[in-house]
Amino acid sequence: MTELIDPAPKVRSYLQSFLSLLIPGLGQAVAGAISRGLIILASILTFSGLTIWTAAQRPRFPDYGLTARAFLILLGETAALLLFIIAAYYLVTRTVARKPTTRAAVQTGFIILGILLIALAQQSLLNTALSADDQSNVYGITLVFGAALTAAMWLWNISDAGWVREDDAPSMNGLVFLSLAALIILGSRVTQVDLPKAVREYRDTEIILRQIVWPWEAAFVYEENNVEAEAKIQAPCPPGATGPEVNEPKDKGPWVVVSPTCGDLSERGTMGAIDFGTELTITGGGFVPGQTVNIRWENPIGNAFKPRGFGDTEIPASGEGTFETKLFIPDATISSTAQGDQIHRLIAIQTGEREFTGKLSQDMKLALQQMLVTIMMGMMATLVGVVLSIPLSFLSARNLMGSLKSTLQAFVGGVFGLVAGAWLGSMIAGLIASALGGLEKYPLLTFGSYIIFVLGGALLFYRLAGASLDWLGKRALPAVVARLITIIGLAAVGATIGYGLGIGFSYGIFSITHTAEFAEEMAPRTGAIGAAVGALLIAYYGYRRQPTDEITTGNFIYVIVRVTLNIIRSIEPLIWAIIGIIWVGPGPFAGFIALTIHTIAALGKLYSEAIESIDPGPIEAVQSTGADRLQTIRYAVVPQILPPFIAFTIYRWDINVRLSTIIGLVGGGGIGFLLIQWIRLFQYEQAGIAVWLITITVAALDFVSAEIRGRFV
Amino acid sequence: MLKIENLTKIYEDGTVALKDVSFTVEEGEFLVVIGLSGSGKSTLLRCINRLIDPTEGKIIWNDIDITEASEGDLRRIRRSIGMIFQQFNLVDRSSVMTNVLTGRCGYVNPIWSLINYFPRKDRERALNALERVGIPDKADNRADALSGGQKQRVGIARALMQEPKMLLADEPVASLDPVLAHSILGYLEKLNQEDAITVLCSLHYLDLVQRYATRVIGLREGRIIYEGSRDDIRQLTDEQFKQIYGEEAQRLNVGPEDF
Repeated sequence: MTELIDPAPKVRSYLQSFLSLLIPGLGQAVAGAISRGLIILASILTFSGLTIWTAAQRPRFPDYGLTARAFLILLGETAALLLFIIAAYYLVTRTVARKPTTRAAVQTGFIILGILLIALAQQSLLNTALSADDQSNVYGITLVFGAALTAAMWLWNISDAGWVREDDAPSMNGLVFLSLAALIILGSRVTQVDLPKAVREYRDTEIILRQIVWPWEAAFVYEENNVEAEAKIQAPCPPGATGPEVNEPKDKGPWVVVSPTCGDLSERGTMGAIDFGTELTITGGGFVPGQTVNIRWENPIGNAFKPRGFGDTEIPASGEGTFETKLFIPDATISSTAQGDQIHRLIAIQTGEREFTGKLSQDMKLALQQMLVTIMMGMMATLVGVVLSIPLSFLSARNLMGSLKSTLQAFVGGVFGLVAGAWLGSMIAGLIASALGGLEKYPLLTFGSYIIFVLGGALLFYRLAGASLDWLGKRALPAVVARLITIIGLAAVGATIGYGLGIGFSYGIFSITHTAEFAEEMAPRTGAIGAAVGALLIAYYGYRRQPTDEITTGNFIYVIVRVTLNIIRSIEPLIWAIIGIIWVGPGPFAGFIALTIHTIAALGKLYSEAIESIDPGPIEAVQSTGADRLQTIRYAVVPQILPPFIAFTIYRWDINVRLSTIIGLVGGGGIGFLLIQWIRLFQYEQAGIAVWLITITVAALDFVSAEIRGRFV
Repeated sequence: MLKIENLTKIYEDGTVALKDVSFTVEEGEFLVVIGLSGSGKSTLLRCINRLIDPTEGKIIWNDIDITEASEGDLRRIRRSIGMIFQQFNLVDRSSVMTNVLTGRCGYVNPIWSLINYFPRKDRERALNALERVGIPDKADNRADALSGGQKQRVGIARALMQEPKMLLADEPVASLDPVLAHSILGYLEKLNQEDAITVLCSLHYLDLVQRYATRVIGLREGRIIYEGSRDDIRQLTDEQFKQIYGEEAQRLNVGPEDF
């Protein structure tokens, strides 16, 4: 195809331009710049597709065919429009504005002009492409601008094809710029960015926002210096009832007298008409002169309200602090199951000034308490996570584990010792547990003894059996016997792994393709097949090598621990929280479990990377003095990893406290749980308190952790 | 007496670092190994205390085959072979004292040593060692606060703590300037002559080799291509040296009389 290239440099190839007009990128590809052509084609295709897809998103069932047709029509129209603008641009720059500086200005001007023209022509363009009915089913602006940008890309591609050569790589800035602009427009459409809506609806949220932003009124207790007096009234008034005792006017302090003290309730008819009940005469005294007295009614179950429409409820007190008014007994609904005398209360009240007491409100106390729970949750998760992740990080550090080698026969002996030791350890721990009286009585002790004995037994027997088989194989047994033992042992290991995989296969696959029963029925068979295959494979490996060959056992452990940590780490703490909630129920414990699991995995990785990046020099120096493995770690590894370990730990604590607030939202306890409850109850002031406390804590922790880390790194 | 027989080291990636190397080191010798970088000097020295496991061959030291030693035996062998390094290999964040005390790791109770407890005797020994290399006042400094020459002296002090019968020195002065190079090699010579410690040292510069070596082995691509006595080296011309050494050979041009 190279003969198509014009040999003379910088001569326009109209053939290539024409090819690119038909299919974008074809001209470039023909010229030899195949990847360039492909990029252009891919850009234009994906961008057209995205535009059509986005523009069609308005109705529930998008009509892509219709949108695509409209898009193509618009593409042609805007291309024509753009060509017209470009022609005008060339005319202007060739005749009037020939200086480079003015040309740049004209260029900018024409780009703006192009955008404006398309924006102005938007409606008319749309009208030619879509009927009014169909227009309501697509996002018109997206379609018009998408088509315009696609047209611009297409035109640019045609011009580009004329100049491109196989070996030179002209800049693709134009395409990059257009693609970026296109993606921003589409992206804002897809994510439903709607600035006018944000402005329009701000006012409605202002009250709530104000509560959240400055919620401190709800954080304190206020004393209300009200002047109030009350009187009791019985309603309804059954025959023969006399009602509560009538109050007497007092010399000192506020009083209110109601007569009669027994009467009938008002009733509301079906049409809203009120059938008034007994009219009460209310007199009162001892109030603050000149200030308004409010009358409130409290029904027998303690609900107070202002009895509007039953009489004057706001009466100014006289110069002597007395007042007088009349009021019908309101239509306070009485439960049909209510028994005995129904005593209402009439309260005459003058609202005094609220006094700031400085005492924290119940909500504030609750928020503080839960904030503390949250901080503790983060701290506990970090501490436990650190303790558990340090040994794991040593196991998943390649530079430490790579030196852990053993002979093949020692490995075989070790594996059997491992299983035997773990079994023996669990037996001993079981005996201890039953002697202690079970998990419920001494949970920590029982749990601890299991861990210590199972792990300890496994490790001890691993070493013992490994070393003894190694010794036997090297010194005591005939070579053939040692080899046979190794091969048989390896075969047994392979059979166990294969058996497990086989069973897993049956349950994992057959329960999907067939039924659970079938899977259960087939499990022994697939297990046997797996065992046979595993045994043969690994036995063959054993046959190919000598029992005294060295294998890097450390790498096995390294791979297993690393992969496990990576899987755990890639599951978000929120998911772990949900698992924790299913496991131990909602509350801080679930959050603690979630954070701890994630912390172990995350810190395990960070720590092991810190270990892997240490200077190996000191290790060989300490080793060369005759130090054992632990001493080497203590003197060559620990001093080097201490600073990054501390830094990572503090950083993780910081993360954990932040995460624990989020974990609370899904039920992990702590302040997050409180926050989501308050939001759901529309108690925005209280929610504001929680938000503030979280913000303050996180900011403070951020500062502290940065300070501490700065000192160690 | 150290006897090396047919030592071969092939790394896992297939690099042949040493090929069939055999030689003997008499007690009290100052044996210098010369050769280009990559010629196998470091591998050879590290095979002797098995920081690197040789692929084939024997290393017999005082009638014990080091290549066959068990883990426990190896630690006992290692503690009587001191080693110093080109990059000093100190633990930068630990104090000089701690760095020197790690030299006792092969002798002390491993459990006590884990909590950084060393017997008083060992602490005194450490101060003596520091005094011997001329920096007794630096004991409480952090190792990374020292200059290069001081660091290498700490390295020597650490090796001294092992009460070594033999000292392996892997390019001990390659990271130091010429004056310091003579100073450090001077200490090694003193140990060699006064304490009768056998020294195996790899060096780069011809005049240093001529000044300090009692015997020289030349390595090239893992094989011994030159063996010379004290007198042989003294008569070695630059051209001969370049033949063994390749074109990179150079003189330091600072004699001991200059400092």
